[in-house]
Amino acid sequence: MKHHLVASSLVGLMLMVAAAPAPAQIDLSGNWALLDFQNSLKAGPGPFPISFQGIPINKDARAAALSFDNESLSELQRECEPWLVHYVIEGPFGFRITSVVDNPVSGAVVGWTISGEVYDRLATTIWVDGRAPPPPQALHTWGGFTTGTWHGDTLVTTTTHIKDGYLERDGVPSSNQEVFRMFITRHDDLLTITGIIHDPVYLSAPYALAQVFKLSPDANPSTPAMHCAPELEDTRLASGYQIAAYLPGQNPALMYMPQHYGIPLQAALGGVQTMYPDYRKTLESEYRRPSKYCTQYCCDRGFGGVAAVCKTIN
Amino acid sequence: MKQLLRSAASLSGATRPALWRAGWSLCACAWLWSPGAQAAAPPRTPAAAATPEAQTPLGFDLPGYWVSIVTQNWRFRMVVPLRGDYAEIPINLKAKQFADAWNPAPDEAAGKQCEAYGAPAIMRVPERLHISWQDARTLVVQTDSGMQTRLLHFAPTAADAAAFASASWQGYSVAHWEVHMAPFAGPPRAGVKPQRQYGGMQVMTTHMLPGLLRKNGIPYSGKAQMSEYWEVNGEPDADQWLTVTTELQDPEYLQTPFYFTSIFQKEPDGSKWDPTPCSLTQ
Repeated sequence: MKHHLVASSLVGLMLMVAAAPAPAQIDLSGNWALLDFQNSLKAGPGPFPISFQGIPINKDARAAALSFDNESLSELQRECEPWLVHYVIEGPFGFRITSVVDNPVSGAVVGWTISGEVYDRLATTIWVDGRAPPPPQALHTWGGFTTGTWHGDTLVTTTTHIKDGYLERDGVPSSNQEVFRMFITRHDDLLTITGIIHDPVYLSAPYALAQVFKLSPDANPSTPAMHCAPELEDTRLASGYQIAAYLPGQNPALMYMPQHYGIPLQAALGGVQTMYPDYRKTLESEYRRPSKYCTQYCCDRGFGGVAAVCKTIN
Repeated sequence: MKQLLRSAASLSGATRPALWRAGWSLCACAWLWSPGAQAAAPPRTPAAAATPEAQTPLGFDLPGYWVSIVTQNWRFRMVVPLRGDYAEIPINLKAKQFADAWNPAPDEAAGKQCEAYGAPAIMRVPERLHISWQDARTLVVQTDSGMQTRLLHFAPTAADAAAFASASWQGYSVAHWEVHMAPFAGPPRAGVKPQRQYGGMQVMTTHMLPGLLRKNGIPYSGKAQMSEYWEVNGEPDADQWLTVTTELQDPEYLQTPFYFTSIFQKEPDGSKWDPTPCSLTQ
């Protein structure tokens, strides 16, 4: 009797499986060029100093960022560090996405790999085969460990096990408690990635960003294996006993945004309140647009040939 | 569906860009392959079940209140940017000349305060949205900043098109559900009841009055056409995010299509709704 029950259950289960819709995956593979019309200044020349407006940092993150000196990236032990996984939507490059199949016969897709940037960011594989992330104490890396599930046409990813590093290139820190979630949606030949960064150590709210990429068969992103050999770039750091940092209250760029763009210091210092529309009421009484004409990075988006035309009309 | 395509064709004509043509074709294919289309096979479902509202993709919980998250392009959005600060937008020389010569005072005197709140700019204005169904085939998107109203027409009729034949700040928007039959899923199987699929919304907008992309004078023209993809994404902790991906084409003032995104987070109610009139100086 038990055997009959087991057999019946198995048949029933097989029928249910057969009747259920097959797991759906949209083909993400291809070369995706970044259409960077909203982050090219930060991704290219880099963020302006002390310009944390719109970033929901807490006081600990602010203190760390105010002590940051760009020269610290020239310390021998830091020179070859790539940016963290969230740089996929903050960096200046596109990428190639390739599928990972379990074996050539079945061709079943078990993951998607987003190629790295030459020396800026490591490749990320998004595992969609249901595997669990490693235990919390497992190795944390710059790329982290990423799993994904499909919600209709959108691949929803979760990255954990990320090392301590930087949220932004101006020294805003991120911790090894960060969880990075992406919503990757293909719209014909466009790909939108919405990234949500959660960091209980340094952020007081989720930090949401989005970027658009275009399928470009001829983009051919350069993706050689990362190679980097540290060498002395700053003689002030030659002794090995020096680190580049500013003591509290001594960052010389503190007033950069107020002086150049009229942005009030309190806004430039960021915080969750600065990313909501309500903050405009505060700005109404504190912001006065400088009367001068723009003099730096005024028309240079760094996008292919368009940038050159921009420069000619400056 | 034929009526829908006729409406679009009559609006955009032969000048419609290639991507738009692809978009419309995609929408047509998506509809034909959509659960709604399959559900329309005999026996037919009641008429009410076939309305765009009833066919809302799974998880696309758009009605309600949403707040802008201004984490990108902050100094172009939260404050009036410097004169001559045209970074990140692929303008041409004509646009630069227009912006260099632009002054808000005459336009405000002429009652054109809302020219920086037109459809190509409105989703990047720091604001709250209130989204609701006006009827079963028309979504209403209201903004508190600038107090604008966008109407997104599903399956528009000739009367709809005629009513919006003249240009306006928000133009005329035609919407579709962007629901694909996933390519790896195979054909529908006998005995398997079609299910609503996850998906998003595609919106095409034309018939816009000339306006400003930024409050420092960067213009767009009446020839501009806009295509948008709207996605609603949920996180396990119940945060709901709306991402709108926009492609703006303007043969008069842009060298290439201009792509950008706008992010919103869902709010539980309208308690923070704060209607504010248009302004070119704040």
